[in-house]
Amino acid sequence: MEYPRDAIDCDVHCAPAQMATLFPYLSDYWRQYITEAGISLTGLAHAYPPRAPTSAGPAAREQEGPAVPATFDALAERFLGPAAPRFAVLNCLTGFETHRNPYFAAAMASAVNDWLRDEFLGRDERLRASLAVSAGSPEDAVAEIERVGEDPRFVQVLLPVRSDVPWGNKNNHPIFAAARERSLQVALHAWGRAGRAPTPSGFAPTYLEDYLGNQTIAQTQMLSFVAEGVFERHPDLRVMLTECGFAWIPPLLWRFDKDWKGVWREVPWLKEPPSAYVRRHFRVTTAPAHLPDDPAAAGQLLEMLGGPDMLAYASDYPHDHGPGLSTLLQRLDDDGRETVLRGGAAAMYVL
Amino acid sequence: MRVVVAPLSEFPDGERRIVRAGGRSIGVFRVGDRFYGIRNRCPHQGGPLCQGHLLGDAVADAPGRVQIVANPLRIACPWHGWEYDLDSGQSFLGPGAAGVRSYGVTLEPGRSLLDSAQPVAAQRTPGPYVAETFDVRVQDEYVVLEA
Repeated sequence: MEYPRDAIDCDVHCAPAQMATLFPYLSDYWRQYITEAGISLTGLAHAYPPRAPTSAGPAAREQEGPAVPATFDALAERFLGPAAPRFAVLNCLTGFETHRNPYFAAAMASAVNDWLRDEFLGRDERLRASLAVSAGSPEDAVAEIERVGEDPRFVQVLLPVRSDVPWGNKNNHPIFAAARERSLQVALHAWGRAGRAPTPSGFAPTYLEDYLGNQTIAQTQMLSFVAEGVFERHPDLRVMLTECGFAWIPPLLWRFDKDWKGVWREVPWLKEPPSAYVRRHFRVTTAPAHLPDDPAAAGQLLEMLGGPDMLAYASDYPHDHGPGLSTLLQRLDDDGRETVLRGGAAAMYVL
Repeated sequence: MRVVVAPLSEFPDGERRIVRAGGRSIGVFRVGDRFYGIRNRCPHQGGPLCQGHLLGDAVADAPGRVQIVANPLRIACPWHGWEYDLDSGQSFLGPGAAGVRSYGVTLEPGRSLLDSAQPVAAQRTPGPYVAETFDVRVQDEYVVLEA
């Protein structure tokens, strides 16, 4: 794909190719647990079927080895060289499915963070990363944020968009408090919690439905963060909605504001219409862009979105979402392109 | 136009009467010793405003920490829940946040005029609409609407 030059890329993937890569960061007990049970990394094959066009662009699919870079050298050769980003935020989704054993999930999150630091963050000053946490346990997530969150190369806490309960739930608020104490933001990335249906009304029989289900769950999370008052508690918190699209946002906000007017007493801690919180606190990555093919219609959609201020560039390397980015950038003026490619992320993160 | 609403003795605290004044339907509310008159038509979409709930404001200093403030009083339209200040008719929330037209309600000589200062909404944005409000007074122990 054509990469925009010198951009701040908010979603670049890396992942260890096998469990053994993480062994230096796991205790004897967990190494034995993994070895005895034969637990292996699947590369989130259910989320990114290896040969699906959505999982990797043609170049990434033709390469030897896994499409998602497993080493710094692979990342440097395949991505950092060709893309030449100003900064790239690494998202490692290993363990992201949140193993049902909460102790294992916590150990895996720590191992991933230590591996990210050793393999990537110390090797190129343009690299930043999302901080992995055990997404099923707020207590363990807070402990991990306390353990590594002072490292300024971590810029956000990575949470799966599919969660056991909506993220705005008060039981999750300590995660946001711990993040903000360290100037970290939060990212919700597509996919997540194992055993959770991909739609609010149950399981889907096709990958197509499963894949698109990420954006309907993202809507649930957007409502939850706002309605449950997360941004009243943490006015500086920003949430990067990653790989969940954005074309669905305007009609959701129309309805969100309208219904709030009638039943605002349920959430009297909201001081402004819900859309004001969404526009101020949410950022959404440009992959996938989900824009209409008709350039005029794409322009109208951007207008309904309130312009480009909510949008932040992501290549989502090596995943491939088609030509939506170029459609988007063509509809923007120079200021708008600057906001999307650099400005939004630079304002959100401490880089 | 003066409309005799009811004998004072038959209009207890907390009750309301909806009366006709010319072509208009107007709600008269008693809260304590004070009377309010407001048009029974929601400026939003024409709903029967005065059939709605009469509510104190809800204020929160944090999620889950909510208090009801007895004054100001809001009348909530039964159609869409839009709320109007009973005294001033000012709406709160709405498309762009609007207000309702209110009418003054006063008491006849022999009773002191109550403070008619407009209540302030601590945390809410005035809406675009104002509901029509009317004067209501107690005259010779009758509640009288000035519409």
